[in-house]
Formats: sequence, structure tokens, C-alpha cells
Amino acid sequence: MAALRQNLTGALRGSCPGARLQWQTLDQQFHALRLGGSSSSSSITAAAAKASTSTSTSRCMSTDAQNDSNSNTSGSQTEFRSIIASPENTLRIATHARPVPLSPSYFSRQPVFNDSYLTLQKLMRSYGNLPVIPAGQVERVAWNTLEDTRQTLGEHVKASDYAKCIELVKRLHAIHPTLKPEAVTAALQAFKRNVQPFSNVPNPIVVDKFGRALGVGRRKASVARAWVVEGTGEVQVNGKNLADAFGRVHDRESAVWPLRATARVDKYNVWALVEGGGTTGQAEALTLAIAKALMAHEPALKPALRRAGCVTRDPRRVERKKHGRVKARKMPTWVKR
Amino acid sequence: MSAPNCLRCLLQLRPSVALPRHLLVARSTAAIAIAWTAPFSTTTANNAKTGGGGSKDKTGGHIRAGKKIKLGKFKKNTTADRGKAPAPGERKAFRKKILLSNNNALPVPGLVDLTPEHMLDPQNAATVLSIPDAVVDQLRAVEAFKPTQCWGVFRKPSMLLRTETIDLMNRMKGAAKQKQTLRLVVTGDRITGKSMLLLQAMTHAFLNDWIVVNIPEGQELTTASTEYAAIPGSDPVRYMQQTYVLKLIQAIRKANEKVLSKLSTVQSHPELPQHIPVGSPLMQLANSAKEADNAWMIFQALWQELTARGRPPMLFALDGLSHIMKVSDYRSPAFELIHAHDLALVRLFVESLGGAGAFPNGGAVLAATSRGNSPRAPSMELALQQREAEQAKAADVPQPDPFFRGYDERVQAALRTVQVLKLSGISKLEARVLMEYWAASGILRTTVDESAVSEKWTLGGNGVVGEMERAALLTMRL
Repeated sequence: MAALRQNLTGALRGSCPGARLQWQTLDQQFHALRLGGSSSSSSITAAAAKASTSTSTSRCMSTDAQNDSNSNTSGSQTEFRSIIASPENTLRIATHARPVPLSPSYFSRQPVFNDSYLTLQKLMRSYGNLPVIPAGQVERVAWNTLEDTRQTLGEHVKASDYAKCIELVKRLHAIHPTLKPEAVTAALQAFKRNVQPFSNVPNPIVVDKFGRALGVGRRKASVARAWVVEGTGEVQVNGKNLADAFGRVHDRESAVWPLRATARVDKYNVWALVEGGGTTGQAEALTLAIAKALMAHEPALKPALRRAGCVTRDPRRVERKKHGRVKARKMPTWVKR
Repeated sequence: MSAPNCLRCLLQLRPSVALPRHLLVARSTAAIAIAWTAPFSTTTANNAKTGGGGSKDKTGGHIRAGKKIKLGKFKKNTTADRGKAPAPGERKAFRKKILLSNNNALPVPGLVDLTPEHMLDPQNAATVLSIPDAVVDQLRAVEAFKPTQCWGVFRKPSMLLRTETIDLMNRMKGAAKQKQTLRLVVTGDRITGKSMLLLQAMTHAFLNDWIVVNIPEGQELTTASTEYAAIPGSDPVRYMQQTYVLKLIQAIRKANEKVLSKLSTVQSHPELPQHIPVGSPLMQLANSAKEADNAWMIFQALWQELTARGRPPMLFALDGLSHIMKVSDYRSPAFELIHAHDLALVRLFVESLGGAGAFPNGGAVLAATSRGNSPRAPSMELALQQREAEQAKAADVPQPDPFFRGYDERVQAALRTVQVLKLSGISKLEARVLMEYWAASGILRTTVDESAVSEKWTLGGNGVVGEMERAALLTMRL
């Protein structure tokens, strides 16, 4: 009974009794040498757990997790036999006296990077003749940097090697997308950065069936939504006219600045909602919102609007207060004692 | 440790104090001269302080004093001469000053004086016309001009005739013709030209020889800033404001002199201290108000005379309506607040506006709300919204809030039958005409084309006149 409990505990911890562990480790090593990470390798814990509960001496192979729901001793043994019998899981028998590693970088200190580099070279030999598309039309991808690679692999990758590798990656990436083999795409996937900034493309603003274009702008703590339609130059902000919404003439000017800078004041009507922040922030949030909506109506105005300073969001915010200071930068008053 | 004496001075040739007098004589006169000009200063003031003045520094100011702590080092010199302070009331007079012409502004070619017909013809909508000089004097007498309006930047007082102006003038004319009273309240957003429309109505009245009585600020009557007294024998108690009424009589007399001089009294007024027989000129009655004591009695007599049959039509106007549609700041002898409608002069206006005291000769009672300085009068706001909705034949007339207690029955009753004229922005055409006038006066220094007009129109909150002025004239970038 005590032995059973011990075995059960061991199974829950995912370990095996000592003797079995030893020859399983050897078995694993053998797999690594011969099969190089094929389907029958190394997830042993489920089967080990099953075997240890039944206190049988059966050999632990990987098996499907689905089968273990109503397993008993005889069930697991029959499964084991079926696994042995199935042709895909048959163990290969060594043909050499000394096993030859599958990976050429087996004896290297940096096997992973070297492996991938060799894979790329092999792919290049195979598919280097495929037609490529012009450099300008290649999909932009952010590749892992040298530092990223060193961090993730934990290997000291040489910069020159990495540069050569990335050169290969870019060349393979330039293969015409319709002809690009699956193997190339899969190999390149490992070199892509997890977050792709180039795929983060804003949704294009469309003019809806009523002729409205909705632009959103932000500045400081303010958010503005502006619906721009073709019209005669009427502006309403939060249900008020421009003069009621902004007391300062300067703020009014900055709110409709995209329209003024492009001489479109009397061509469009604006209906806007602004919230948050102060008057300056709201007015300048409106600038951005109206400019974006205007670009939906007339995309050709983008250079003019950029020159007018209406396209880029101003990222400046209030600087945070620091401890030991009165404000962000201000020092406390000097006191003699 | 630094030397107590100035080393530079020691280096120079200088007669020592210890030297006997006779030795000095031996020295050359030139050397002595050099020695005594040593404490040199470029300015006479500094010279006087160091060498010439010699009050505390007998040694020529070159003996160093010990270190002294100088407190208040950064304090400004507060004893700076600021010149003469303005006399009491001078600042306010400057603030309230009304300047109606400016010789630096260019005379606008082709600017025509208003005639009575001009303000009635719809063809003249969106034109700028100038006010005749005689009318300017009359308008000044009734205080129709406001210090906030920028008359002072133009050569000659001129105004834009809007479509609303023409409409209102025609309604006034029609009412006067049928011997009815037009009772109307002008409302609208901030600086949309409400007071200006009142001024235009008064101009029209003066041009057509109406009698004009104007209360320039409703505020002056209810903020407890003029004297008041209970009217003897009145029940419920009413209050008269003699000083203000005296001023009002004088304004009426001065502004309407042309009309009043042709009229004479048709009633006897035995209650007046001065005997004024039937048939004496009305100017005599108006002139009899010399002191505040009997001003209210004379005003009542004058009012009776002016509203007698056969007189010219009358315009009774008031600006700042919300001030008289609330409880005033005056107190009764029991120290209870007096409702503004219990003040006799206010009551006269409110009854005229409400339709109780109709003018038998026709005319108009006009009131304008104010947005700049106005207390909240929820009943008035609600009543005006309701009248507006009723005029527009809207489906849903605003209803009073059942959970709000601040409504005033008397105000509701007073405004039950008035008409409402809501002002908003001017049209683009009117904006263009106005801007052309500004440009012709040399104040607006841009080409007045469609883009400039629409830009200012938009910046001015969809054509709010005052805001357009602010955007175009008052924030000039020259």
C-alpha cells in the first residue's frame, strides 16, 4: 500500500521510479540521435503516470492523452503493443556502430542558430532560382535583430554570421509570393519579430453613404471626433457654434486650421464632439480630427495638410511630478535652516 | 582680510591728512588737482553722491564698510512715482465712455444717411447705412449706444440693415398704422446684435417722429443702486425711484424735443405742485421736473399726456430683460425683498409688455434679453422658449420642470402673449457687406473675397456679428 502511494505521488509529480528513469533517459538520448525530434519522442509524463499507477514494468512510450480516461493495466498494455506494432512508430535500428548525429551542429556550442543557418542555405540552394519581385514591392517585415536572437537562443551569435543569415532571409523573402514554397515560409517565420509594426496599418477612413467622414484626433488629454461633410462652412462643436465652444479666437482658428490651410472653409461642414482636457487641447485635437476626415474626402490634400502641421499627432503630455520636487522640474524653495 | 582702505586710492597721489599744511604748498598744483579728481563719476548724480555731496563719506567714499546683511535685497522699489491717481469716478467714466467717431478711420465713399423709407424696403437688406447726425444726438440722449459696441473705430456711426431689422421695422410700422402695440422680446445668443436691433428700432422711431422712452439697462432699476420710496397710499405697496425717473424724464425731454415741442397738454394735473393749465406745451410739463422729489408725479402726468388719444406712436424699450423678471435687491420696510414688478416704473414697462397698458396711438414695446450680464430667470427663459415654439407651431412646446420650484407666476403672466424674435448669425451676404464696410473704413486690411468672408463667418461662430468683429477687428495682426 505504501509503495502504491509512493508511486502515485511520483506519478503526480511527473517522475518515474529510479531504475526505469535511467533506461528511459538512455532511450531518449537514442531518440535524439536517431530520430532528431520525430513524432514518437519524449513526452513521457502521461504514459509514465499511467504505468506507475498500475505498478507494471511496461516501457513508457509517448501516447495520446485522450486514451488515459478509463485506462487500466491491461488496457495500457494492449495500447503499448499496438504502438509497437504500428509501422510509423517502429524504432529504427542502428546501422552504424557509432551513431552519426543528424544535425551537423551536434558538436557545436551553438546548435540552434547554426541549424537554422544551414537550413536557410539548403533552401537557398533549392529555391534560389525562383523569380523574385522588385525590392519596392516586397512585403515589409521586421526581422529579429541580433540582440533579439542572442537573447532568445541564449547563444553567442556572431554579428557577421547573423548579417549573412539575415541577408539570406531577405533574399528568400523576396521570392515571388505566388511561387514561394511552404518550406521557405516556415523557415522564415522563425526570423520574424513577434510584433510586426508594419502590419499595424490604421483602418482607412471612408466616406459613408451620407457623405460623412469621421476623423478622430487627440491632443494632450482631449479626444475629438469630427464628422466632415460637404457644405457651406458651418461648424458645430458639442452642439454649440464655434464661437460658443471656444472663447479664444486663436483656439477657433486652430480648430478649423486644416480647412483654412487648404482653402476649404466654405466647402465643408463640420459636426464634432470633443471631450477631455482643456480648451487648447480640445481645439488642437479638433485640428487633427478634421484633417483626418478631410483626407478621407480629398486624399490629395495630405502633403498640404502635412505642411500645415495637421497630420502628425503631437505626443507631448504633462510631464509627471517627481518626488523631491515641487512640480516636474521645480525645486523647493531654499530655506536657510 | 582685506585692507580697510581702497588700494587704488593709496596708489594715487593724494595729500595725506597727516601732512602739515605748509608741505602741501610745495607740491605742484597739477598733482593736487589730479588727487582731488580721483573719485570720478560719469554722472552728476553719482558724482554728487561720492565726491561732490560728501555727506557721510568725508574720505571720498573709498573706505570700505564691513559686510552688512542686506535684507529685502530683491524687493522692488515701492516708492516709485506713479503719477496722479485718477479722481473718483474717472475710471468708470472712461470705461463707460461712448465714442461715436474716429477721424483716423477712412470716410466710406457712397455711404448714405438713413431715411425713414430705407428701413422698410426689403431691397435694402444687407446694406450698410449711416445714422443721420440729428438721430445720433437723440440716440445718445436715450443712451441707446453701448460702450461695448465698437463705434469708436469708424468715421461715422453706421449700421448694417439685416433681414431681421427690415422685418421688425415693418412690423412696427404695421402696428402703428393700425394703432396697435407691437409687444416683442428680442432674444438670441451672445453678441448676435440684440441691443443693436433695439437701437435700430429706436432709429426707426426717431426717423418717423415717434416718441421714444428707453430704459437702457434693466439692471439699474433692480440692483438697489438708485433711491426708492414707497408710493404713499398705494395698496399693495408700490415703490417709486425718483432719481432714476428724473433722469428718465430729462432723457425723454432731450431726445423727443422735436415731437414734444409741437404737443400741448390735454388734461389738467391738479396733483402737481406746479400749475400746468390745459393747453400748455408738453415741454413745459417735462421741464417742471427739476428735483427728484416730485419726479414720479410728473412722470405719471407726462405718461398720461403721452398716451392720450391723438399723440404720435410711442416706442417703449428696455434692455436686459432678465433683471426685471426676478425679485429685486430692494427691501421693504419689513426687510423683505421686493419683487421687481412692485417697482412702479418696472411695473409700467411690464404691463405695457404684457398687454395690460396698451398704447391708444399704437407703437411698440420692445425688450431685449442680455447674455453678458444677466441673472438666471428660469420663468422668463421658459416663457420665451414656449412663445418661440408656439410661433413656430412646433409639435412639442417646452413644459415647466415639475421638480423645480424657482418658477415665478408673475413673470409667466407678464410674458404670456409677447412675440419673440430670436437673433442668430448673419448670412454670408450680410457678412460680406459688413466686411466690405470695414475694409472701406481702412480697418480690415485684407481683400474681401469669398474665402475671407467665409473664413471670418466660420470663425465668428456661423456669422455671429460680435464674434466676427472680434475675429476680424479686435484681434488685428498688423
